[in-house]
Amino acid sequence: MSLKSYSRARAVHVMLVYTGGCNGCDIEIVNCIFSPKYDAEQYKIFLTWNPREADVLVVTGPVTKHNEQPLREIYKAIPEPKAVIAAGACALMGGVYKNINGDIPSEEIMGPVDNIIPVDAKVPGCAVRPEDVLAGAVAALPKLLNAK
Amino acid sequence: MDEDNKITKKQVIETEVPMGTVHSAAIEPYRVRLFVEDEVVKDAEITVGVNHRGVERIMEGLPVEKANSLTEKICGICSNSHIWNSVMVAEKALGIEVPERALYIRIIMEELERLHSHMLYLAHGSEVLGHETFAMRMFYIRETVMELLRMIGGNRVQYGVPILGGVRPRAELDQMRIQNIKDGMDYVEEKILEFAERFVSDPMIMSRITGVGVLKKEDAIRLSATGPTLRATGVDIDLRRDMPEYDSFDFNVITQDDGDIKSNLLVRVLEIPESIKIIRQAIANLPDGKITNRGWDMEDTPITKSYIEVPRGKLYHSYSLDDGRVRNVIVRTPSITNIGAMEYACIGSHITDAQLAIVQCDPCFTCTDRAIQIIQI
Repeated sequence: MSLKSYSRARAVHVMLVYTGGCNGCDIEIVNCIFSPKYDAEQYKIFLTWNPREADVLVVTGPVTKHNEQPLREIYKAIPEPKAVIAAGACALMGGVYKNINGDIPSEEIMGPVDNIIPVDAKVPGCAVRPEDVLAGAVAALPKLLNAK
Repeated sequence: MDEDNKITKKQVIETEVPMGTVHSAAIEPYRVRLFVEDEVVKDAEITVGVNHRGVERIMEGLPVEKANSLTEKICGICSNSHIWNSVMVAEKALGIEVPERALYIRIIMEELERLHSHMLYLAHGSEVLGHETFAMRMFYIRETVMELLRMIGGNRVQYGVPILGGVRPRAELDQMRIQNIKDGMDYVEEKILEFAERFVSDPMIMSRITGVGVLKKEDAIRLSATGPTLRATGVDIDLRRDMPEYDSFDFNVITQDDGDIKSNLLVRVLEIPESIKIIRQAIANLPDGKITNRGWDMEDTPITKSYIEVPRGKLYHSYSLDDGRVRNVIVRTPSITNIGAMEYACIGSHITDAQLAIVQCDPCFTCTDRAIQIIQI
């Protein structure tokens, strides 16, 4: 095991990017990593706001028109190996905003996240529960740790 | 010569610090342009519109029950306020009488939401301030309130308690739930007072936040700031005092005088015990009886408006009903009027305080981004 993969296994940095949801998922994710009750930091999962030091990208929201380009750029800026978690109903299928069965599909929504960047783990829920976020982060870890 | 110079007399500031739309200091995407001279902010400009999802457009033409539950998705922090106000519009228009017990449960939900929103503000403010320990403590206290919300509504974030003519059967309060709320309120009150005492007696924090990001009273009134942001400048306005729903409750309206970050934080800290007071009164006097009134008929109505006081200020909803469907929806959230206050609060402070000055107004840009721009008619 190289020093790099050794250290990566012991400090997974998660970056949260918000692409136009309702704030509910974001606060639950911050809560999950930050709050002493769930405390993902005890599992060596840390929250960062810098894409260059992130390993995992957590995307919430249905990806609005204006957020599509920033999301692609953030994804590009994260060094390999990287994993993407789509969290919440909006990120998975557009949520209520996409107006899927409605008369006119919304033009403002470019999502779901699948359409824009490849997704490795999906966390359902509206809003996501902190327990599910932890499970999603664990599901995305093998991709990071098994990378050469 | 003077005629030509009229425009250019306005001082042009060359150094611009743009932030956003995705920035590490702000969770939500918005764009701030700070115009800086000698590291002092001379002018600021906040642009929203990145999160536009067109909720009003999706609501147009939906059955009123569906539209009501869709308003909840406007904001994940004050979701109960949106659905309550939206339900109130239809109730006002159709003349639906709400049972007393349902009204009390709605008020309990609203005040619990105010608790968690203010605690989130304090946690976020402490984090931006650079004091992560306080932020974590705040998140820990907030968890009690979130569990109470989950107990009543079934979900941690969007509870969907009010429906037309009452509240959902899910939200009925039995003895066990009432006891849980009582215990939770005792715990939160004790911890909040402890937190407030530690907060104001910490000289380092107080020197950091006193006199920074000052919003003058005249500016706040002129920019039509609402809610705690306005009350922090010394204006004694709280819509709860004038709402008939809150008539039977006794509480104080908190104001502070300075309009700086300290005042903003203190207004929110001191509003938490007042909310706890309202919840206790509601539980002590909880009337018996039904929680839903099903005896109403749908009819066509003209545009009806409703205002309520939500954690961030004054919320406005209006729509008309046509064949049981919703038309001409307009939602106006408190943060859109507070944007002017945020810009003015930045001016005159050091560039490192600018983010704090924006955060002090408790922005919620996900609420705000709904304006429809008509380019061509």
